[in-house]
Amino acid sequence: MASGYDRALSVFSPDGHVFQVEYALEAVKRGTCAVGVKGKDIVVLGCEKRSAMKLQDTRITPSKICLVDTHVALAFAGLNADARILVDKARLEAQSHRLTVEDPVSIEYITKYVAGVQQRYTQSGGVRPFGISTLIVGFDPNDKSPRLYQTEPSGIYSAWKANAIGRSSKTVREFLERNHKADMEREDTIKLTVKSLLEVVQTGAKNIEIAVMAPGKPIEMLPVEDIEKYVESINTEKQEEAATRRTGGRTPGTGTAAILTRPAGQPAGDGATDPLP
Amino acid sequence: MRGATILKATDDKTRELNQHNLMAFSGEAGDTIQFAEYIQANIRLYTMRNTTSLPPPAVSSFVRSELSRALRSRRPYTVNLLLGGYDTITDTPALYWIDYLAALAKVPYAAHGYAQYYCLSILDKHHHPDIGFERGMELLRMCTDELKRRLPVDFKGVTVKVVTREGIREVEYVDDKPVKSA
Amino acid sequence: MDTLVAQYSRPSGQQEGYSQDEQQELLQLTPPLSLKFALPPIAQPSSWLRAMTDDYSNPNCPIKIAHGTTTLAFRFQGGIIVATDSRATAGNWIASQTVKKVIEINNCLLGTMAGGAADCQYWLAYLGMQCRLHELRHKRRISVAAASKILANLVYSYKGMGLSMGTMCAGVTPQEGPALYYIDSDGTRLSGNLFCVGSGQTFAYGVLDAQYSYDLSEEDALDLGRRSILAATHRDAYSGGYINLYHVKESGWVKHGFSDTNPIFWKTKLEKGEFSNVTSELE
Repeated sequence: MASGYDRALSVFSPDGHVFQVEYALEAVKRGTCAVGVKGKDIVVLGCEKRSAMKLQDTRITPSKICLVDTHVALAFAGLNADARILVDKARLEAQSHRLTVEDPVSIEYITKYVAGVQQRYTQSGGVRPFGISTLIVGFDPNDKSPRLYQTEPSGIYSAWKANAIGRSSKTVREFLERNHKADMEREDTIKLTVKSLLEVVQTGAKNIEIAVMAPGKPIEMLPVEDIEKYVESINTEKQEEAATRRTGGRTPGTGTAAILTRPAGQPAGDGATDPLP
Repeated sequence: MRGATILKATDDKTRELNQHNLMAFSGEAGDTIQFAEYIQANIRLYTMRNTTSLPPPAVSSFVRSELSRALRSRRPYTVNLLLGGYDTITDTPALYWIDYLAALAKVPYAAHGYAQYYCLSILDKHHHPDIGFERGMELLRMCTDELKRRLPVDFKGVTVKVVTREGIREVEYVDDKPVKSA
Repeated sequence: MDTLVAQYSRPSGQQEGYSQDEQQELLQLTPPLSLKFALPPIAQPSSWLRAMTDDYSNPNCPIKIAHGTTTLAFRFQGGIIVATDSRATAGNWIASQTVKKVIEINNCLLGTMAGGAADCQYWLAYLGMQCRLHELRHKRRISVAAASKILANLVYSYKGMGLSMGTMCAGVTPQEGPALYYIDSDGTRLSGNLFCVGSGQTFAYGVLDAQYSYDLSEEDALDLGRRSILAATHRDAYSGGYINLYHVKESGWVKHGFSDTNPIFWKTKLEKGEFSNVTSELE
């Protein structure tokens, strides 16, 4: 099918595809899921954690959420090793930016830089694209509005209110589309993040990582016990909901079933906010 | 200061390298800040990359080696440094003296320039390894008073910063009382 | 013909990928902040330049650099006042009386020039270019801190090579409010409320320091700026010509004239009775 156009990079196929970039996107889809959600004055990153082997030391195994600078966090989906290189370049740029213009980087600037690096690796010879998508979150210096950006292997970057990348990201994104509200408080934002991750993570809190960023504060990695509490409260809610449904309540369903019940023709944008109990 | 004019009386001649390491500098205009900020950026980068801060001995080694590398380059930095740090693992404070020829010494108290000739003798006599913060400030007062009394130039105030287990903080230092010589 | 054949019959493996240099070029995302700048083809450009231009120790030096200036800028509650004289001298020769020493970097940022006229003009124009590029890349106006730092890093990279400039960057931005920076060719960069730069700086400082206060009204601030330059033009042989006066506000800078010192001097003397060492009568 590809007939040789996927061999050398930076070569178009006759119908305008750069296959290596599309294969990179495929690698992203196989990576563990990462979610970013903006609240009123907070932004939350959530990650699916691959279940650890019996002998693995989970305390010091690197996380999928990294700090680029004190005010910028990055989560990725795709090839771990590629991400390490990309994150390192971003960290260097963040410090170099401080050194040359005195101010810390803005979130958009560092996103643009990361996307720029990714793009370069789709157009130079002898290299292959980064097999990762990233979510970059944080707060601009002296600014209280949360930022959330996504970058892709092709070098595209875009801004979001909430988004997911990696395995089953479509399901999670659709869940977020239905449940994201503007100006959520801290608790609601974290809860929505955990809830959306539970769409794809069956094993519960021990396979979830949550990082919280607030303006002017250092990043906060939630301890497992806290995530456990969110998972529990979500589960009891779900059970109660299931019980009311059995007794004939007409609450719209959650999970994958709800996609089917969405009225046809409704845009999958911000308007889709099915009420949650 | 440029020629015979003081351009700014309250310039901060220190840079925080990380939470527990502070570097004070003096020397050639331009060189000082460029070198200090270069070191600062690299120490910060280390912190970001490894999610752990360099302890004072490592910081001092790094600073010394960067300075000595530059010394053998086309254009060396003419900078004298004092490095104050607090090691949170061993729970000990550390002070390093580094001159523009990249000589490094771990010392209990230090000074650069003409101040050395006045202050070091005072500190030799009064300093003791287990003094507390209050006594430390008293010694500092003795030093600045002596400088006011004997140094031919009249300096415009001092910035005082303290590095402790809790981090780095600036201390207000009232310095406007005239000092009479005997 | 052979070359043509050679060109098209290279083993295919060789064509794949770019050379090291080409890749380097591709990987360079943005142009560097410092331009490639031709230096004289000699071992020690700085000492050569000094030998060629230092008219103090060698009055017959072949190149005479325009020097000597008074420039000042200060912050007050209503923004920043920037004032300069307009004389350019090369040795003891007045090269021009109508030099614009305030450089309009953009509609919110001003730079002043003291030292080598060419150095200042060239690098401040370059700074203006970098500021515009920053604006386009970041979608917001550059902060004064960043602009001054670009210039400071730039001149620092030429340290010891004979650049001669003392400049101030003044601007008002939403993030930092009124901001004023001093940058010179040593690589010094300072933020502050008040700076005077140039051969006439001491005279300007004298008048300015005595009456300066942050709470000055706009009118008083403009008068003080003008009077300080006048003081310097009166006493410093290398300063004179016209007083160039600007006021930088949040909405941008406003020019308050390019006015001849001579009538201002006589007005000040006759109306206020200052400059009493100058007599206006022949005796």
